[in-house]
Amino acid sequence: MKNSNSQNLRLGIFIIAGILIFVAAVYFIGNRQHLFGNNARISSVFKSVNGLQVGNNVRYAGVNVGTVRDITIVNDTSILVDFIIEEKTMPLIKRNSVATISSDGLVGSMIINLTPGEEFSSETIRGGDTLQSISKVATADMLTTLNTTNENAALLTADLLKITAAINEGKGTLGVLIRDEQMAQDISSSMAELKKTTQGAAITVNKLNRLISQFDMENSVAGVLFKDTLPALKVKEVIVSLEKSAGEIEQMTSNLNKFSEEIINNEGVLDYVLHDSTLVEQINATLENAEAASKKLDENMQALQHNILFRGYFKRQARIKAREEAKRD
Amino acid sequence: MPGSFSIAANASSFFTEIGALSHFAGRFFKELFSRPFEFREFLRQCYQMGNKSLVLVAITGFILGLVFTLQSRPTLMEFGAVSWMPSMISISIVREIGPVIIALICAGRIGSSIGAELGSMKVTEQIDAMEVSGTNPFKFLVVTRIFAATLMLPILILIGDFVALVGSALVENVKGDVSFLLYFNQVFEALEFSDLLPATVKSFFFGFAIGLVGCFKGYNSNKGTAGVGKAANSAVVFTSLLLFVIDFIAVFVSDVIYG
Amino acid sequence: MDDLSNNRATSGRTEVISIKGLYKSFGENVVLDDFNMNIYEDENLVLMGKSGSGKSVLIKCVIGLMQPDKGKIEVLGKDITKLGQQEMDELRAEIGFLFQGSALYDSMTVRENLEFPLRRHRNKMNGNRTKDLVMEALENVGLAHTLDLMPAELSGGMQRRVALARALILKPKIIFYDEPTTGLDPITAKEIILLMLDVQKKYNTSSLIITHDVDCARVIANRIILLYEKTNYAEGTFTELSTSPDPKVKAFFK
Repeated sequence: MKNSNSQNLRLGIFIIAGILIFVAAVYFIGNRQHLFGNNARISSVFKSVNGLQVGNNVRYAGVNVGTVRDITIVNDTSILVDFIIEEKTMPLIKRNSVATISSDGLVGSMIINLTPGEEFSSETIRGGDTLQSISKVATADMLTTLNTTNENAALLTADLLKITAAINEGKGTLGVLIRDEQMAQDISSSMAELKKTTQGAAITVNKLNRLISQFDMENSVAGVLFKDTLPALKVKEVIVSLEKSAGEIEQMTSNLNKFSEEIINNEGVLDYVLHDSTLVEQINATLENAEAASKKLDENMQALQHNILFRGYFKRQARIKAREEAKRD
Repeated sequence: MPGSFSIAANASSFFTEIGALSHFAGRFFKELFSRPFEFREFLRQCYQMGNKSLVLVAITGFILGLVFTLQSRPTLMEFGAVSWMPSMISISIVREIGPVIIALICAGRIGSSIGAELGSMKVTEQIDAMEVSGTNPFKFLVVTRIFAATLMLPILILIGDFVALVGSALVENVKGDVSFLLYFNQVFEALEFSDLLPATVKSFFFGFAIGLVGCFKGYNSNKGTAGVGKAANSAVVFTSLLLFVIDFIAVFVSDVIYG
Repeated sequence: MDDLSNNRATSGRTEVISIKGLYKSFGENVVLDDFNMNIYEDENLVLMGKSGSGKSVLIKCVIGLMQPDKGKIEVLGKDITKLGQQEMDELRAEIGFLFQGSALYDSMTVRENLEFPLRRHRNKMNGNRTKDLVMEALENVGLAHTLDLMPAELSGGMQRRVALARALILKPKIIFYDEPTTGLDPITAKEIILLMLDVQKKYNTSSLIITHDVDCARVIANRIILLYEKTNYAEGTFTELSTSPDPKVKAFFK
């Protein structure tokens, strides 16, 4: 039956075409998800995966090299992410590469980005390796530390402003100050306060210093985050300025301390003031110094605020403050 | 109250129909797995349904892809998201529009022809003649047709999807500057197994529904030439309805499975 | 076949079909009530009745397309109500059936139509035997040239002849003709009747012919049964019945 044979032939072609389309679709979709071919399994431990899903892409320097295969919660702070990487790209990826999770575009899905380590390394990854990771949580931790630091700095600034204002006023009513012993005691206590504040400032500066040194640490988490050295330098600069102004404040405080001690030790303050004109000059100079120092600190804080890295943080602080004020009203 | 009476009568005839259809489907499965299998008739039906519907499905698919892309383009352009075109079109065609539109076309093409063919065979006693000739007409006519439709529909739908994507790529190629390679690269970038597999499974059910209802209406058609026309018509109407019900269930189930 | 013809020669008038007390109803509508009938070997029995009187129902009960509600039907000595599918198919191979509207399969060629009854009996046939049988059957009805045509390409008379060839292809012992001449012009109808007689002589078959065509009955019938009021109302030769004093019987021969 010739007719039937040609029908069978055409039917065969039709069915094969359909199956080919299906197989091709399965192959191309599967290929993208790295289901076929030679792959190596790599893993990395994150503190948080920010909605990463099985099947998300893994990129090395922006090129898709694999997909996420498995996400398991190991314990409350570590999540193990297994992903598969094409074998042919493996010789290019070094063992000290760092895995980060980021978003692919504004509304895109999450991806794992592999970036080369800071140091040159000749060792390439092998199947079963665990790569270092940076979680978003690490950055958040860092910001929390900075938060405390900044709170302290803010407190310090406010105190200094208050003191400077008080001293400024005191300058106008020097006569009262000189006659009144009570006032002298007030000065003394404010000096003590100032001292405390300064100590606070010193601690803050120390903390910042530590932070900075952390930034510098090789292979440290923050070190990589700030692998672009420019912002790091800027932060450092800010910290140095803060340190300097703190020093100045300290010096001023000790001067004031000395002065107030002298006031207390002397029976007649007025006498002393009248007899010793250098003291008045000293007080004047000290007050001017304090003013300058607090201004500088202000500037530094401002600079810190403008630093791109901390901008977000300060904005959030301002928002929280505004909200609190609104609540109070 | 004549109104309520007619509603009750309609409902009862509807449920009777569903019951009879289920019974018919049960008989299909029983006879499908018992020998002999009418393989030559099955191949003939595959050819009739598959190859003979191919041109129709290809034209429909091509126009579908073309029109769908042309219509969506301005909106996406407003959002500056024309680059999303391939992924959006491919997902909606592969998941939903391709299978449903092509199944509807096939319900018209295959379902009505089965209904009319079996209906006229019933009326002219050809079905009786087969039985008298020692051939089980249910096996020879119904089992082969339902089985052929079940297997051919997924292939038709896959080909239709592909042609629709080619049509869409053509628009993007002419109106935008997206090469075919880039277009299909983005298509496969966007598609997941969870798009392709439920759609393919769904299309088997579509094929089964088309074959089943067509055969049911034709095999049980009343005497007379009017019965033949009615069989063909109600096969198409009932199949189309059933396709949407199946589609809803399929989407519901695949949504549960794939989250 | 050979031993059967010997049988026939020796045993005389053997019953091939015997129906006793047949009752069939569709719901409230009783079609056949206590119907009795015998068909003997080599006999052409014509069953006459009005439209809707249950002639087709009777014939479908005999061939097993419908189940009778009550009564006994024996075909070639077998009670058809007690047969399994397999035995039924074997029995049906002994019976040819010419349907009312020819009932040729529209989607198949003439050749495939004729091969269709043979496909169940492949164990007995090989390719050449099938081909020979098809050609023989077609030559018997004088339509050998239509082998690869579709039924739609044939005239009504040719379709009827092809249907007859299909009914005869297994060389059955009994042939049922359901209205063999309806829908045909008188000349073609006469051709078909002559063909039926031809076949009758050639293969020595028994026939049950349902018709209301009086001319047909006159030419072909050895015996006539009138189906009237759900039962076997009258029985006899054509001359006996056509000259009957019963007005109800007479009405059939007007």
